[in-house]
Amino acid sequence: MMLLAFLLSFCLIATQAWAHTPLCSCYDNGDNTVTCEGGFSDGSSASGVNMRVENKDGSVLSDGQMSDTSEFTFDKPEGGYKVIFDAGEGHQIIIDSSKIVE
Amino acid sequence: MKKITYILAGFALFAAAVPVQAHFQMIYTPEMALKEGAKIPLALVFSHPFEAGHTMDMGKPEEFYVIRSRGENEPQRTDLLKTLQPITWTSLTNSGKAWETEYSIRGGDYIFCLVPEPYYEAEEEAYIKQETKLIINGGGEPGAWMDPVGLAVEIVPLAKPYDRWVGNVFQGRVLANGKPVAGAEVEIEYLNHEPMLDKKAFAKKAAVEAPQDAFVLQTIFADDNGVFTFGIPRAGWWGFAALDLEPDYTYKGKKCSRDAVIWIKAVDMK
Repeated sequence: MMLLAFLLSFCLIATQAWAHTPLCSCYDNGDNTVTCEGGFSDGSSASGVNMRVENKDGSVLSDGQMSDTSEFTFDKPEGGYKVIFDAGEGHQIIIDSSKIVE
Repeated sequence: MKKITYILAGFALFAAAVPVQAHFQMIYTPEMALKEGAKIPLALVFSHPFEAGHTMDMGKPEEFYVIRSRGENEPQRTDLLKTLQPITWTSLTNSGKAWETEYSIRGGDYIFCLVPEPYYEAEEEAYIKQETKLIINGGGEPGAWMDPVGLAVEIVPLAKPYDRWVGNVFQGRVLANGKPVAGAEVEIEYLNHEPMLDKKAFAKKAAVEAPQDAFVLQTIFADDNGVFTFGIPRAGWWGFAALDLEPDYTYKGKKCSRDAVIWIKAVDMK
């Protein structure tokens, strides 16, 4: 019974986020750092969502999670890169560095 | 005697109605729902938006600030009063003192709040003070657009103000000192002449023509809970002004109509 309740509550928590569009935008802070802000279209938090920065050949330059305020800041890499907001299968957002401006 | 009383009552009504007719405090920027972060221009103009008519001189605002909220984050307030630059805004009939600034937004809701210096309407020997809100969104992630910001008088949206298609309704709740104002009178005007920020003027060309004067300024009364509902007939900016929400309010010893204004921009579904 406990297990069922646990599974049910997990399902409810997960559904809340999955039923809505993930959103993520990144901004060049102008001080050699980049901040990404994530969330969902219903206003729910993206805190804890996995974040990854990869260079063009797919090797990971930095990774971490969205903070309590749904932000992820990293040192701006040299050259081209991409940022992956990874909220699970079908809920990834990939942002190319060419789209990241001040 | 009865006749005189009626005449006097008629005059009193006329005098009460005129000072607030069709004046609209604007906080204007071209877009309400931005696809991504951007630096946005803002113009503060006190005018008659349907007819781009007489533009009143604004004094230095008492307050101008923005509250940013994104997702479940705590809203953050930034004072913008010192960023305001004086400009002269040209209407179709005159020029008036106004203000402009710009602000860089990222994602989420940005609620711009203006508390203007009361405007003295000499003919009526009364002031008008329109506390005005404009809610801009970047990127589609909502914030606390539905929460009161704590202005003395304000219109709190019950429908997300920046996601309105033409044909939707817009609903708002009128508050004075945090409490709903039952039966509040709400005037509505369409921004019928495009504001040209580069020229600091309204475009001469009108988008629509009113078939009769009543259509220039529409009127709705809020219900017992201070809630009003407006069906949106056309794309563009619509202003809502809830009038005289604190009837005993005075400024410099004279009657002051304390109004709450909010602007929305509706978009065609195409």
